[in-house]
Amino acid sequence: MFQDKVQVLWNRKIGPLYYKIGLGCGRGIADADPGQFIMLRLSGRIVPFLRRPFSIHRLIRNEDRTEGIEVLYRVVGECTQKLALLRPGDFVDVMGPLGKGFRIPDGVRRVFIAAGGIGVAPLLFLAFSLRKKQIDPSGCRIFLGGKTKTDLLCGEDFRSLGMAIHPTTDDGSSGEMCFVTHPLEAAVRKEPPEIIYACGPPGMLKCVVGIAEKFKVPCQISIESRMACGIGACLGCAVKGKELTEKYLHVCMDGPVFDAAAVEL
Amino acid sequence: MNKKQHPDLCVDIGKIRLKNPVMTASGTFGYASEYAQLVDLNRIGAIIVKGLSLVPAPGNPPPRTVETPCGMLNAIGLENVGLEAFITEKLPFLKTLSPPTLVNIYGQSTDEYAELASRLNDVEGIAGMEVNISCPNVKKGGIAFGADPKSAYHLVNAVRSRTSLPMIVKLSPNVTDVTAIARNVEEAGADALSLINTITGMAIDIDTRRPKLANITGGLSGPAIKPIALRMVWQTVQCVKIPVIGVGGIMNAKDALEFLIAGATAVQVGTANFVNPRATTDIIEGIEAFLVENKISRLADLIGTLEW
Repeated sequence: MFQDKVQVLWNRKIGPLYYKIGLGCGRGIADADPGQFIMLRLSGRIVPFLRRPFSIHRLIRNEDRTEGIEVLYRVVGECTQKLALLRPGDFVDVMGPLGKGFRIPDGVRRVFIAAGGIGVAPLLFLAFSLRKKQIDPSGCRIFLGGKTKTDLLCGEDFRSLGMAIHPTTDDGSSGEMCFVTHPLEAAVRKEPPEIIYACGPPGMLKCVVGIAEKFKVPCQISIESRMACGIGACLGCAVKGKELTEKYLHVCMDGPVFDAAAVEL
Repeated sequence: MNKKQHPDLCVDIGKIRLKNPVMTASGTFGYASEYAQLVDLNRIGAIIVKGLSLVPAPGNPPPRTVETPCGMLNAIGLENVGLEAFITEKLPFLKTLSPPTLVNIYGQSTDEYAELASRLNDVEGIAGMEVNISCPNVKKGGIAFGADPKSAYHLVNAVRSRTSLPMIVKLSPNVTDVTAIARNVEEAGADALSLINTITGMAIDIDTRRPKLANITGGLSGPAIKPIALRMVWQTVQCVKIPVIGVGGIMNAKDALEFLIAGATAVQVGTANFVNPRATTDIIEGIEAFLVENKISRLADLIGTLEW
């Protein structure tokens, strides 16, 4: 884990409210797992006051060296509005990698990934890691959902990894007009995968977890929470655990990736 | 003063000698191990750990935190591992560190506070305790004991009779007259006071028309509350003889120096740890640089030098 001021390498607009920011932080980031996150602070500002959590979208690799990370973000509030104004050469304060990421069980061959909107952010890193583990991409499927076609992100990235894509939109402007969970359920019913990975809004995750339970498929979900410290000190990011009803889990330490069976949504 | 010589930053809180006046505020630094990779823990003056209860406490339902202008609201609800797990799982690491460990304690009744104090009394590796009579986020305990001078006196007196460890009592700003409570707590046998705990506050989501915290209200911390904390510390140092520890919105050395000049013997750094994990050591360095620049050889010579 490191905390340092790092340089913005690029900050590209990729959609109406979506940006990809490259951050030069080679030191301490090379062994990050997919699903882990960083706590980012705009240097020298009092507003926004607290750091904000962002998942790692992918590692920036140059030959054999990791030169930084890319973060995919959606402009939703004060921090991301200011983040969108940054230019290459500006500095941000980054702490990470934090939390527990996706676990890839040995020997899996058939993998389904469900992404809702900006929830795709940590899942591209996961897709790269699946490839690194030499899992045949023809056994992997991405279910990519969004409100409208501009919310469907990273389709090309997954395609270039050789993975099949099932796009859906709420308004039918691209792909099928339905929730992302419809084609997911149909595909699971037809031939269940060995694991489902998902990230997206709470309603979608609930539905994905329901499908995984129904067809008895192991499932890992990445969930979001407000948090102040990111390292288990403030205990602000509590979520209810499923078995230990008396105890809360914490997104920053126990997650952000949880076994679906462990957490109450 | 010899230019090469470091100024003397030592301060005494009762029987506890600190190598510098910067402590971590309870609830913002976990059990220190959380920060081990980010900050040189051995440079900190003292470590005050997360509020501890006799038995593990689950804390409040989420959402528990929300950012507000220049600060944050929290309603964690004193989630903690409980006394036994603290001793077996958390204390061993703290014992490897050079700064004294102070345990912040709270209970739901006077008996619980007293029993916790008595059981900690014989535990090796604990330099003292901070008695929390000021948490705004739990229904029983906390502020229920710190809201009026009489109940504060009785609680502190009961704890005092069960422990010989140095005892700091953490006071609430959510009271009419903090000095009346401070005087009673001193008379009941406290070795030092720390103030302020968070200020009760609230935030509302205008789209859902619901409170942003599941607990509805929470405690406000961060730079937004520093002027209030400073005023209350200044008022309190004038009416007690025991050391006062300043806490509330300290982000940098300049903030800490304001409290020391106002008369605080030491300071606690809280919410700043979330923003800058090295806030404590940055502040220690900044205080030292200020003393060197102003040719002050001992921090003690600066404390309480406010002129008005």
